[in-house]
Amino acid sequence: MESLIRELKEHLIRELNLEDITAEDIDSKAPLFGEEGLGLDSIDALEIILILEKHYGIKLQNSAEAKPVFYSVETLAGYIAKNRR
Amino acid sequence: MCYIEAVATHLNLTHDIKEVVPDATLRRRMSRIVKMATATAFECTGGVPGIAELDAIVTATGLGCLADSERFLEQIHRTDGQMLNPTPFIQSTFNTVGAQIALLAGNHCYNMTYVHRGRSFESALTDAMLQLKEGDACRVLAGAFDESTPTQHHIMERMGFWRGAEDGEGAVFTLLTATATSNSIARISKVEFLPSPLSERQCREKYAAGSGTRVWRSLDKTVYPCCSAMRFAKAVEEIRKGAPEVVVYNDYFGKEPTIIVLQCL
Amino acid sequence: MRIAVSGMGIVSSLGIGVEANMVAIGREESGIVSESRFLPVSLAVPVGEVPFSNEELALRAGVGEYCVYSRTALLGILAVQEALADSGEGKSLRTGLVSGTSVGGMDRTEIFYADYLADPERGRLREVAMHDCAASTLAIVRHCGIEGYTTTVSTACSSAANAVLTAARLIRCGIADRMVAGGTEALSLFTLGGFGSLMILDKQPCRPFDADRAGLNLGEGAGYIVLQREDTLQKEPYAYLAGGANANDAYHQTASSASGEGCYKAMSDTLRKVGVAADKIDYVNAHGTGTPNNDLSESRALCRLFANKVPPFSSTKGFTGHTLAAAGGMEAVFSVQALHRGVICPNLNFSRPIEETGLIPVTERREAPLHYVLSNSLGFGGNCTSLLFSKD
Repeated sequence: MESLIRELKEHLIRELNLEDITAEDIDSKAPLFGEEGLGLDSIDALEIILILEKHYGIKLQNSAEAKPVFYSVETLAGYIAKNRR
Repeated sequence: MCYIEAVATHLNLTHDIKEVVPDATLRRRMSRIVKMATATAFECTGGVPGIAELDAIVTATGLGCLADSERFLEQIHRTDGQMLNPTPFIQSTFNTVGAQIALLAGNHCYNMTYVHRGRSFESALTDAMLQLKEGDACRVLAGAFDESTPTQHHIMERMGFWRGAEDGEGAVFTLLTATATSNSIARISKVEFLPSPLSERQCREKYAAGSGTRVWRSLDKTVYPCCSAMRFAKAVEEIRKGAPEVVVYNDYFGKEPTIIVLQCL
Repeated sequence: MRIAVSGMGIVSSLGIGVEANMVAIGREESGIVSESRFLPVSLAVPVGEVPFSNEELALRAGVGEYCVYSRTALLGILAVQEALADSGEGKSLRTGLVSGTSVGGMDRTEIFYADYLADPERGRLREVAMHDCAASTLAIVRHCGIEGYTTTVSTACSSAANAVLTAARLIRCGIADRMVAGGTEALSLFTLGGFGSLMILDKQPCRPFDADRAGLNLGEGAGYIVLQREDTLQKEPYAYLAGGANANDAYHQTASSASGEGCYKAMSDTLRKVGVAADKIDYVNAHGTGTPNNDLSESRALCRLFANKVPPFSSTKGFTGHTLAAAGGMEAVFSVQALHRGVICPNLNFSRPIEETGLIPVTERREAPLHYVLSNSLGFGGNCTSLLFSKD
């Protein structure tokens, strides 16, 4: 799980072009979206859907399912571990 | 007729992009040209308070945000249109820079983008001047930007464009007002689309007010769609240095000629 | 000075020409098909495609059997030819053109790019020669004999509506007597892929203003109106352009604000400038793309402006798809036709109102005497424009 979290953070930094942020700076439990966490928005959500699809073979269809999954790096990693192919 | 209160080009920026766009989410999606043009607009208006006071934002670009357009095109061909990253598509639209300027200051005013090759900047100036004339606006930000990319340069090289001409890029913004203010530095007396090319002598005969008028017909070999905006900025500098009038003639590879006449106050 | 609408031209998935379009709308026949016939790669989504190949379009436009023009240019030429012919003889008038386009000649560029990517010395240069936005505009003026002030605007999906605003200003300020204004747009892998990447393409025919709407269908076409200073008219005009306004949502690069601030401001500024009260508006041709975000945002703006007494409104995108830069031009034609014929175009595929607003569009062709018609165009970058047409 630790290595998956680290790998996921690196995908996020690269694909979302997070300037001046290292994997260490991202709190795995902090919210990805909204003011208090990383401050991602709806376009980032689309980019994360692509990360899941490209790197882990996971196709997310409805956004209702996505909401709790996209809460933090930890929830995302948990979902990937369960559903990856 | 309108008055110029400020001019900025990408060559004289004094603010880092992180000062211009403190919002990291907004900034990290911006391509080089969007950063360059947004920073130039910021420089010209003196920052967010200046942008918030604008009544209209009018931008111009011949080729738009080329690097992002190319990135997205490449993705389409490499993936057959599946699993595409949305960011370059979103940022490739021609009105991206105008939209980012409005977003920076939450300005809800008139926002327009002209994309008419070598006449893009002159179209934007015309729109700005007509709005000032009609009283729809008192302060208008008008600007132009174009970026050069290796792909565009190479394709145009294959087309034979660079014989006797040099590629270039740049961003220029100017702040225009309807009436003279204590900050005015020059005035634009004319912006015209010419039906056919004119020689330097013809330009002088038709547009120069006096013998002190400078007529710029072939200032340098640089050619890109909005390069006339850079010449406009240089002409304003010339007025600042004491020239009474500068007539700037421009065309794009010999076609679609235009005239901008600048005068001292 | 009053500015009259003296001519119109349109090409859409419903067909070529105003008559063909109005007949299809009268029969409630949509132009949306399950997938593209002409794109080099099928993306298996419904589109509002003009049902003619480039060769057929070139023949009809009289630009030669073999033609290297972009589809964007061909569609534009056909619609402008019709608009100018409809407007009547104008040799003594200074006539110009303001044309909107979102991606210029991208339909040809992407053909070039496939070869170029494999080898930078390959790719036929004539395929990329019409890449920039001005190229289609210049092809139109060349083929239609337009010699006055000509320019191109690109503000995404509000391009054509903004072209109309600029054209009207050029007439008011004396730079032209008569202006053709609108936009042209060809389907491309670039825009289809782009909207696909944003996950806002409905896999079914789009359902504007419906509670279950799931995105837009892209379309293509061209729509232009001829604006003319009233004293130069040679015939009874169809309607007048009473006014319009452009405002920015300044909320997000692609998404509309929840309150529809930009749309509200474009509509309310229009009414204020023209001096018309909101209760005088008889019909709104809404932007209504069918995306969850746009339709809710626009509905809220309508509710706010009309204080919950929203006039009859509909989106025509169920017929044509969303034609991006051309949408404002095509919908200007539909709005003026509505005024002229006294008929409101229905909103297709609607069954249940959006819960938050409860707004119900006009769903059947409805005859009514109309005096003021408002047309909305909302685009990426927060670009919002409203146009107001009047009977006299």
